[in-house]
Amino acid sequence: NLPFFITCLVVLKIIKHYQEEGQGSEVVQGVLLGLVVEDRLEITNCFPFPQHTEDDVDFDEVQYQMEMMRSLRHVNIDHLHVGWYQSTYYGSFVSRALLDSQFSYQHAIEESVVLIYDPIKTAQGSLCLKAYRLTPKLMEICKEKDFSPEALKKACIGYEHMLEEVPIVIKNSHLINVLLLDLQEKSTVADKHELLNLSSSNHLEKSLQLLMDRVDGMSQEIVKYNTYCRNLTKQQQQKQQYLQRRQQENTQRQSRGEPPLPEEDINKMFKPPQAPPRMDTLLIAGQVNNYCQNIKAFTSQNLGKLFMAEALQGHSS
Amino acid sequence: MSRFFATGSDSESEESSSADEITPKATGTTFSKQALLLSDDEEDTKRVVRSAKDKRFEELTNIIKTIRNAMKIRDMSKCLEEFEQLYRAFLKSKTIVDKEGVPQFYIRLLADLEDYLNQLWEDKEGKKKMNKNNAKALSTLRQKIRKYNKDFETEIVSYKENPEQSAEEEEKDDIGSASSSKSDDDEDVTAKSLMKKKPQEEEKKAPEASKFLKGAADEESESEEDEESEDWGSDSVDSGGESEDNEGAAASLAVVFLKKAQDGDKQPERKKDDRRKRHKKMEQVDEEADEEGEGEEGGWEKVKGGVPLVKEKPKMFAKGTEINNAVVIKKLNEILQARGKKGTDRSAQIELFHALAGISNENNLGEGILVKIKFNIIASLYDYNTNLAAFMKAEMWKKCLECIDELLDILFENSNIFIGENIAEDSENLAISDQPFRVRGCILTLVERMDEEFTKIMQNTDPHSQEYVDNLKDEGRVCGIIDRLLQYLESKGSTEEVCRVYLRRIMHTYYKFDYKAHRRSLGLQGETKSEQDQEESEGEDSAIIMDRLCKFIYAKDRTDRIRTCAILCHIYHHALHSRWYQARDLMLMSHLQDNIQHADPPVQILYNRTMVQLGICAFRQGMIKDAHNALLDIQSSGRAKELLGQGLLMRNMQERNAEQEKIEKRRQVPFHMHINLELLECVYLVSAMLLEIPYMAAHEFDARRRMISKQFHHQLRVGERQPLLGPPESMREHVVAASKAMKMGDWRTCHSFIINEKMNSKVWDLFPETQRVREMLVRKIQEESLRTYLFTYSSVYDSISMATLSEMFELELPTVHSIISKMIINEELMASLDQPTQTVVMHRTEPTSLQNMTLQLAEKLGGLVENNERVFDLKQGVYGGYFNRDQKGGYQQKQNYQRAPDQRGGYQQKQGYQRDQKGGYQQRQNYQRGGYRNQNQSSY
Repeated sequence: NLPFFITCLVVLKIIKHYQEEGQGSEVVQGVLLGLVVEDRLEITNCFPFPQHTEDDVDFDEVQYQMEMMRSLRHVNIDHLHVGWYQSTYYGSFVSRALLDSQFSYQHAIEESVVLIYDPIKTAQGSLCLKAYRLTPKLMEICKEKDFSPEALKKACIGYEHMLEEVPIVIKNSHLINVLLLDLQEKSTVADKHELLNLSSSNHLEKSLQLLMDRVDGMSQEIVKYNTYCRNLTKQQQQKQQYLQRRQQENTQRQSRGEPPLPEEDINKMFKPPQAPPRMDTLLIAGQVNNYCQNIKAFTSQNLGKLFMAEALQGHSS
Repeated sequence: MSRFFATGSDSESEESSSADEITPKATGTTFSKQALLLSDDEEDTKRVVRSAKDKRFEELTNIIKTIRNAMKIRDMSKCLEEFEQLYRAFLKSKTIVDKEGVPQFYIRLLADLEDYLNQLWEDKEGKKKMNKNNAKALSTLRQKIRKYNKDFETEIVSYKENPEQSAEEEEKDDIGSASSSKSDDDEDVTAKSLMKKKPQEEEKKAPEASKFLKGAADEESESEEDEESEDWGSDSVDSGGESEDNEGAAASLAVVFLKKAQDGDKQPERKKDDRRKRHKKMEQVDEEADEEGEGEEGGWEKVKGGVPLVKEKPKMFAKGTEINNAVVIKKLNEILQARGKKGTDRSAQIELFHALAGISNENNLGEGILVKIKFNIIASLYDYNTNLAAFMKAEMWKKCLECIDELLDILFENSNIFIGENIAEDSENLAISDQPFRVRGCILTLVERMDEEFTKIMQNTDPHSQEYVDNLKDEGRVCGIIDRLLQYLESKGSTEEVCRVYLRRIMHTYYKFDYKAHRRSLGLQGETKSEQDQEESEGEDSAIIMDRLCKFIYAKDRTDRIRTCAILCHIYHHALHSRWYQARDLMLMSHLQDNIQHADPPVQILYNRTMVQLGICAFRQGMIKDAHNALLDIQSSGRAKELLGQGLLMRNMQERNAEQEKIEKRRQVPFHMHINLELLECVYLVSAMLLEIPYMAAHEFDARRRMISKQFHHQLRVGERQPLLGPPESMREHVVAASKAMKMGDWRTCHSFIINEKMNSKVWDLFPETQRVREMLVRKIQEESLRTYLFTYSSVYDSISMATLSEMFELELPTVHSIISKMIINEELMASLDQPTQTVVMHRTEPTSLQNMTLQLAEKLGGLVENNERVFDLKQGVYGGYFNRDQKGGYQQKQNYQRAPDQRGGYQQKQGYQRDQKGGYQQRQNYQRGGYRNQNQSSY
């Protein structure tokens, strides 16, 4: 895997974008710009997609992007499109929309990545920025657009193998270091100790809610699949019965010296039921996995904090 | 005929010619009748054959007549319809046609019709004017008749060649009729002379013609009585002349004279003398007649023709006939034969029966025959309405009651009369002799029918009118009759009959509240003297009666339906009189709840009524939960009205057709048996409130809270949606307002909403023990409010003194103590009682919302895993599997299962710890799954 360099400018711009425009579960997106240098990808700049409502229909996103990139080129900034970024709400980003757009990016520009920024975790004190790419297997499947159970089985793809995380290296220029130090000076004490916040239930509740929602979705998918399986079995039996009957009839006819009944197209008579697409299930599974990991990480971190706090208490008393 | 029509269609509007039109046919009739009767006399043996043929041909001629009428008015669709009918009728009479040849009149019609159609077809102008239906019918009919006529080509051709010849007979008639019509004014000699020849000709004539005429006459005679009677008169004169010539026709001629005698007034004065002479002659002839029955029959048949029957009465038996049993029975049978036939005047028939009864009474023919006649009278009273849905008229109903009463009188007075539906007609013994009378007939069926008629009358009367009250007064009589029948059958009837009549009795008893017994149980005296008298005159308590009757049925009945009805009525009666435990036990013992859906709708309605009454009874006794459960089924559907048979719902109108609606209407319960729907709903809502509000308070934070009563929630939501909340008006609004007060634990407001003047008048006063019910209600409201209060506000308190609670809810301390203890035991309230200080100490162990959520998640995951397992079960062997590893495991495990069932124990053991972890859902899993998991564990 290509290591992956980001300038701090990009990080700050993403954070700023979310601060200014993202609210709660709303998601902000933008374009990453950079260059492939030798064997690594460098992301040197980015710009946000403007928020627009459904009302202004005549807004052309592509037009806007081209315009933006042209302008950036004029000021001598890397203007190659190398991916996109998106903010996330409690780690919920594994969705059909993300899959589709990342697929089209990766299909057009092979080295493109998606950068996921988690503002909530960041607010808790540790920057959370992750880069993902679709695995070649998934690319293969998406290319064929065949999400039937058989195809997915053949591809041997599970929720674990859908996205691969790409390591990130953040490179700071000196100027930025100076700026950061300056910012650190200005920030209040409370902000600095956000990391040590002991309250956990709020975050956990939200996560649980989202997790439950996905589990429900999963249940529905399974019920759907279950029905499909049952229908399939039933039909198989009918088909078998029909064949047997036909065979019996034919042997009878043969014994009577009549010509056997013509072979009909069985598949025409018994149309196999439409298999439910399994991609959604996969995505949900991936999302659930993601939530679980988030919760696990959060709780283990919190446990540590609680022990620490306990120790401190014991010490002070 | 064709000629006649040519003239007829020309002058439809003119009165003179229309008279002409009818006259010929009428005349024709008499002749043909005579011919028929004459031949009857002469050749008795052939009679049966003839009548079969006659019947067929009559049918044909009738249809032909309608076709011709339709042709006249150019009603093509009618024509087409009738033609199809004719075709069918013709096919039916095929055998006869084969024997006799195709009747001329049939051929004639075919030919005429074809001509007529062709003519119409050519007439483009006329066709354009026709409406769509008619035009369509015309083209269809034309095609049909073309095709059909091919079969009769030769006949038609021959007819067309020589229409006069084939129409010969008719023409003769026509001539006769034309002249006889003139004879209305003055007796034409020529006509007479013509007539004289007639009988002979008639005898020779092809029988179909005569039949044809007869049919035509029958129809005609029904519609135009006045003119006809005139015709009759003239006819009879003619035939009178004839009688001198032909002795053989004497009997039938006599009949003609009969007619004439009645219409005498209408005849011109100068004819009178003449006729009187003849009349005398006729009487002589009549007496001479050997076969009186035959003569009578002829007489009867004529009567059918529409001459007012009342006048006929005295002529029932010819003068001087010795009236004995045989004669009366014969007569009775004659009258009976007309029963059910088209065109029989039913009211006249009843009159006849009455007259017959009078005659037999006068002549002391004995009770046997009287009973027989009575049976028939009642039966024909029931027959009066051919439509099953129609109900009896008041006077008929009165008559019917009287008749049955009289019949019962006779039966009681004469213990030597045996009646039964199994006695064959010929083994009847109606004559006075040493042997007891044996009469065929079933009094029970008659009374049952009477009861049904009564129900029908009640169903069809506006329940808010005085008329309804008047009709309802007859219920006493109906009950009286049933009671008498019951006495009678108890001594004479079989057990089955007794069961049936018992059920009738029960049906009239079960829904009535026994105020007398109620008062007695309360130890009160009747307030007024008259009431006391009434009390004394009435016999045992209805409860005792019900008990006796029902127990007899339980023991003796063999049909399931009667027993089921009896049980339901018994339960209803118990419930109505607040004997809750008996009612409940009977309901549970009968197991009716399991199989009532297989019963027929009326029984189901009865079942619903019983359940509702049971629920209301439970409510009165303060068993709120039972009341709610009993009423839930009926109320939750929102179709209580329909389910109880107390009216049809409008919104179902489009779903059912008229036929179904009629059937449903017949199932309706009469108004006086209705259960008050508002009371029902109120009882249901109040019990739902008493159950639901504490439950809601207890499970406020549950994500998956179940509703106890959907309908109650619906009412609450409706209440919430109101933009402006005024003081409650309707019963529902009262309950909703009370619920809201109860939610806050404010029992006083709740109480004032549930029990106030409005609600008293609307609902609570309808209970027999109003005061007791109200007291019970207040108590329940206090208790449930206390529970709600504790649920809602326990989080606010650290501890609370029971004395305070007892004061707040005006309950005694022990009651409060017991309620709280119960809540603690049921783990509804996390608290403990502190005995010395009499306080409740709250524990605060309710799970936090995060914990709640985790529990929910666990539940959901359980469901998910279960679903997953189900998919896996299906996949085994059938489908390749999605995860290879799993598939393999499953497959192997299946083998294991088949090969070594003794290993199962091992699987179960390994599964044991999982069960502890995940709880209930795993218990449902089978061994295969256990095995699968086991495999997976080992492979990890």
